Amino acid sequence: MIRRAPPTESLAPVAATRAELHAWHNALLDRRAFLARCAGVTVAGLFAPMLAEATIAEADQPAKTLSENERMMLIDAVQQHLFPSESEAPGAREINALPFLRFVLKDAKTDPDEPAFILNGAGWLEDLSQQRTSQSFLALDSAARESLLRETAASEAGENWLSTLLLYLMEALLTDPAYGGNPDGIGWRWLEHIPGYPRPDAATIYPRLP
Amino acid sequence: MTASNTDTDCDVCIVGSGAGGAPVAWRLAKAGQSVIVLEKGPWLTDQHFRKDELACCRRAVYTPEKRLEPHVVEDRDADGAWVAKSTAESGWDFWNGNLVGGSSNLMSGFFHRLKPVDFRQLDELGPIAGANRANWPISYDDLEPYYDQVEPLVGISGALAKHPNIEPRSSADFPYPPTLEHPVSAWIDEACERLGYHALRVPRAILSRGALGRRACEYSGYCGSFGCSSGAKGGARAAWLTPALATGRCAIRPRAQVLRLLSDARGRVTTAEYADAEGKVRQITAKRFVVACQAVETSRLLLNSPGPKFPQGLANNSGQVGRNLLFSAGGSGSGDLEYAALGAERAAALKTMGPFVNRALDDWYLIEDKGFAGAGNERRHKGGIVEFLLAHPNPTGLANRAKWRDGELVWGLPLKRRLEQWFRTDRTLRFEVFCDWLPTDDCFVSLDPKVKDRWGQPVARIRIGHHPHDLQVGRYLADKAERVLKELGAARVRSSISGAPPPNLMAGGCRFGTDPKTSVLDADCRAHEVENLFVTDGSFMPTGGSVPYTWTIYANALRVAEGMLG
Repeated sequence: MIRRAPPTESLAPVAATRAELHAWHNALLDRRAFLARCAGVTVAGLFAPMLAEATIAEADQPAKTLSENERMMLIDAVQQHLFPSESEAPGAREINALPFLRFVLKDAKTDPDEPAFILNGAGWLEDLSQQRTSQSFLALDSAARESLLRETAASEAGENWLSTLLLYLMEALLTDPAYGGNPDGIGWRWLEHIPGYPRPDAATIYPRLP
Repeated sequence: MTASNTDTDCDVCIVGSGAGGAPVAWRLAKAGQSVIVLEKGPWLTDQHFRKDELACCRRAVYTPEKRLEPHVVEDRDADGAWVAKSTAESGWDFWNGNLVGGSSNLMSGFFHRLKPVDFRQLDELGPIAGANRANWPISYDDLEPYYDQVEPLVGISGALAKHPNIEPRSSADFPYPPTLEHPVSAWIDEACERLGYHALRVPRAILSRGALGRRACEYSGYCGSFGCSSGAKGGARAAWLTPALATGRCAIRPRAQVLRLLSDARGRVTTAEYADAEGKVRQITAKRFVVACQAVETSRLLLNSPGPKFPQGLANNSGQVGRNLLFSAGGSGSGDLEYAALGAERAAALKTMGPFVNRALDDWYLIEDKGFAGAGNERRHKGGIVEFLLAHPNPTGLANRAKWRDGELVWGLPLKRRLEQWFRTDRTLRFEVFCDWLPTDDCFVSLDPKVKDRWGQPVARIRIGHHPHDLQVGRYLADKAERVLKELGAARVRSSISGAPPPNLMAGGCRFGTDPKTSVLDADCRAHEVENLFVTDGSFMPTGGSVPYTWTIYANALRVAEGMLG
């Protein structure tokens, strides 16, 4: 028997105290509530709670209009920063993190508020980058990207956004290749993980179940 | 299927195709009755069950989407006040496998019987203040023949050995030899022996060799939470519904959400009204009805089914429907067996994938320890069992936890080094504690006054209060289990006992008993107030015992079906 552990975005260990579970449930509630709040919120309200007063007015403007493709390019860059490639270990690019995320964004099982949150987050990050550096996030070097992402993580929304990207990075790394990530089991081989069988294939992945 | 009575669509309509409903369908169909089973979920087969972590564990594939079909959970806040939140917002999930065969498709198949003391807890152990402890209206001896029948019908694998707490049995041994066991099982045996504990070999509802038209276990290493692709697992679909269908007298209607049961002026149920896959409302008439939707939804269906004689819900003039909801109390713990500390040979053995641990401890099913300061009777207390298992091999959930360290997000190379550490250097041995969740007035199902599901029906509102005594028992057992892990040399041994309910281990809500004022069902699991209504899932249990429920639900469902045949 598996005592069911808290699902998906758990902040708690498998065995949690009641207080921890309270905190976890409150966090989840906050997450849903805050996903709903995110629509229409500007970068000042989300990613930059510690912006200097002088910059608040400038920051509290609607995010720059970016195409979905531009947002996905930004997310691609963030994914590669969060999970860099190494000669001995796959990174975001090798595990097909971006194609996997595209699957998630279009999947009917994904929380309907989540695709908008993920895509909007890219716009907010770009705004923050412009305000901080007068450059696109894509133009920054690794150290500057790290600094900006650390600042992002200091806010509730920013931490949630990065946590969400990391969640789907881990899925791309270790879920079955039938879903587009983890090509040829590259993530499994790296972490010496043995998958179960029979594995899903194109006909039996969950969107195809009756 | 041809109904045997032209006045009704069938002799028996069963709502729910899981562990409570399927044995009834099998027994009655085998006896010549016409049976229609209504199941809200889809009809998946062995071929659909793959080792797919996304499907089993990370997406709502076998359960409804919570935003369309939420529950409302009432929990205490930090100040002790009850606070209600919809699961659509909170992330809780009290659904447990909505598919033909129900959640038994997804169980691990740890099969334990209750023990005689479970049937007379009030008499044996006395009352506990704040708990609605009760005796069962039947004894272990009444249920034992049905436990025995289940073994060959479902395909239970195990080996009986001399053991101090073994419950009485009428068969000498299990019908199938034990499933293959992991090398760590012998290490647990040795550690327990050194500690003076009695490791118990756990029977599994998993075929160790091909039989009953099903293949043997293929030892993929993934079992709990996953559907079985070989048919070895004795879930309700494989074990009961397939042979029920073979009689030609049983039909299953998947994607049939039963909205309410209609009753007449005499108080008899006449009709099950359900929404089909297209949302069209349809009706089934039957001579008798069996409800087995799992504890929460069974209570909800009855409460959503008022009739001329039942203004508060079907069979609920006593106000008892939904009361005394039970979960499995306890918690879990773990320790890490580090490869480097084991030596090459044992490390290689520990890395073995596939075979089962199959070890439990029931030495403290009754606690007779002066050092234990629980509530109630001072000499003897109801304890429970400890089940050992290797950490589930699902990798994504583990990896996702690695991104947090001391409440801060970790990424980049530090995250990658952490993943390597977590995956490559040790294997985690876990334990789960199962003890009684005392029935209380603070744990029940009602209807939410505002929140409705996709069909416009009021959803279940679940209050999840627990009794503090449950935590004391759980902690006592966890401490014993931690000693075993430490004896094995495990690092980072830890455990947590919680009053939070495991929603996949639920029972109660329609307890059976002899007094209609304090119970919903009689000893035959027929509603006191409704002569043609039976409830056969775990709802009937007045106390839950200290083991997973499935074997008891199977056995009781067979017993009830036998009674229905007269």
